[in-house]
Amino acid sequence: MIELTAALQPLLIGAVLIWSARVKLIGRHAAVNARRSALAGPLGEQRAVTAYRLLGLVELVLGTLLVLPPASRAELVAATVLAAAFLGYLVYSRTTAPDASCGCLSAQRTPVTARSFVRAGVLLSGGLLATVVDPGHWLDAVTAAPAGSLVVVLVGAAVVVALSPEWDRAWLLPLRRLRARLTHPLAGGTGVPLLASVQQLQLSAAYRQVAALINSDVRDHWEEEDWRMVCYSARYQGRPATAVFAVPRSRHQPDEVRVALVDDLTGTSLAALGATVDTAGRRRPDHPVPGAGSATTGPAYAG
Amino acid sequence: MATTIDRRRLLSTAVLGGAGIVGATALGSLAPETALAAEPVPVAPGTPDPNFAEGRVTSITGTMLLVTGSDTTLHRIRITSGTSIWKLHPTTFDRVEKGDGLYARGVRLPDGTLAADSLWVNIVNLQGHIAAMGRNVLHLDHRGRRIVGHIVPGTTAAVYNGTPAVSDVSLLRVGRHVQVIGAWHPDTNEIDIATVYAAA
Repeated sequence: MIELTAALQPLLIGAVLIWSARVKLIGRHAAVNARRSALAGPLGEQRAVTAYRLLGLVELVLGTLLVLPPASRAELVAATVLAAAFLGYLVYSRTTAPDASCGCLSAQRTPVTARSFVRAGVLLSGGLLATVVDPGHWLDAVTAAPAGSLVVVLVGAAVVVALSPEWDRAWLLPLRRLRARLTHPLAGGTGVPLLASVQQLQLSAAYRQVAALINSDVRDHWEEEDWRMVCYSARYQGRPATAVFAVPRSRHQPDEVRVALVDDLTGTSLAALGATVDTAGRRRPDHPVPGAGSATTGPAYAG
Repeated sequence: MATTIDRRRLLSTAVLGGAGIVGATALGSLAPETALAAEPVPVAPGTPDPNFAEGRVTSITGTMLLVTGSDTTLHRIRITSGTSIWKLHPTTFDRVEKGDGLYARGVRLPDGTLAADSLWVNIVNLQGHIAAMGRNVLHLDHRGRRIVGHIVPGTTAAVYNGTPAVSDVSLLRVGRHVQVIGAWHPDTNEIDIATVYAAA
């Protein structure tokens, strides 16, 4: 397995180098990219572009040599040295210009992060492995074990792609979008909010009856079986009182809202309005809601 | 705590226990003229409403709040047992802290204090668009400034297209315009969201 992995390293490293050279040599934004990279610091913007193109040329030549036969240890040593130099460049870039783009594998602006270091480390270790083992040309290994080779190449390519911020747009972003669609970050709200009960009670006949007496916002609220109790301060016949509303909690039935006015000092009930509700929660027909019409007489406040 | 429960039981019994239905006539007529006949608040044009105060709490002594208004007016606000206090949700006086902003409405007493009927602590009302969202967090762009709005599960309500409020805020989308009623975290750009109004 190690032999096979080592044998396929020249192919993988070569492919990465050719891709990288493609961006540097024929990419539309190569010049801009070079000026953004950390090379612009020590070399100056004009020379950075030349250096960038030259580096691309070196990458192209080395990549082609690695991929095409014959295989030689010198190519592998050169690739390893290039990978080590690249790691050094990343360290330099990170320390001197942390905001500069890596300018490595695409025209997309990507700052140097831990992933860039891991990717450079992977390339370096691949080069070292191949140099130490010196397995010969990769084509022989592929013909000897085609299925195993395919797996190694796919895994290697997946590792490089996964470690390259330049390709995130192609796979990571759609995955994140899918996750956001499946598990909405704001999902999870359940229950009936207080506002829904307040809206319902404000539509009720009971509220219209006592609205002029109420002089505060919601003071307290709690739940009692199928009802939500909502309390307001009120004044009734010159006495401080509490207007307590019972609002159906899980149904929107404003004409079932009931209200009682309770004297704050004595605790006696001063007035109560609304539908009388039996234990099953149904309105009794013999106690019509004051102010609201019944089904037989037609709606009192239709429209 | 025990008194709260006793009081709640008393009030529940009054409204649900069928302590006797009093006819509508006991509370006066339903006609709009009756409701509108209430004495209007005597505010001269161009002068501030005497029954309103806004500002930030500079000190709390007993049930008295000393509040500095945004126009540097000093207000003394008296909290009574009948005052409703809102701070993200209806709450109690011990939750009001020094440094909180507030709006108060009540009755101005002859000694200049405002006996508060209602107090809204740290309340903000802002419009903006959703720039980003995270787990129970909305990043709002409000006139070019970033506001971090926290969704409080169990408290935050959403109103879509003017329909009754629901707890499900997951219909919000990045880029959409929203109006938010919330409670400001004093001296930060963060709010807890009480209600978010949006189109869905």
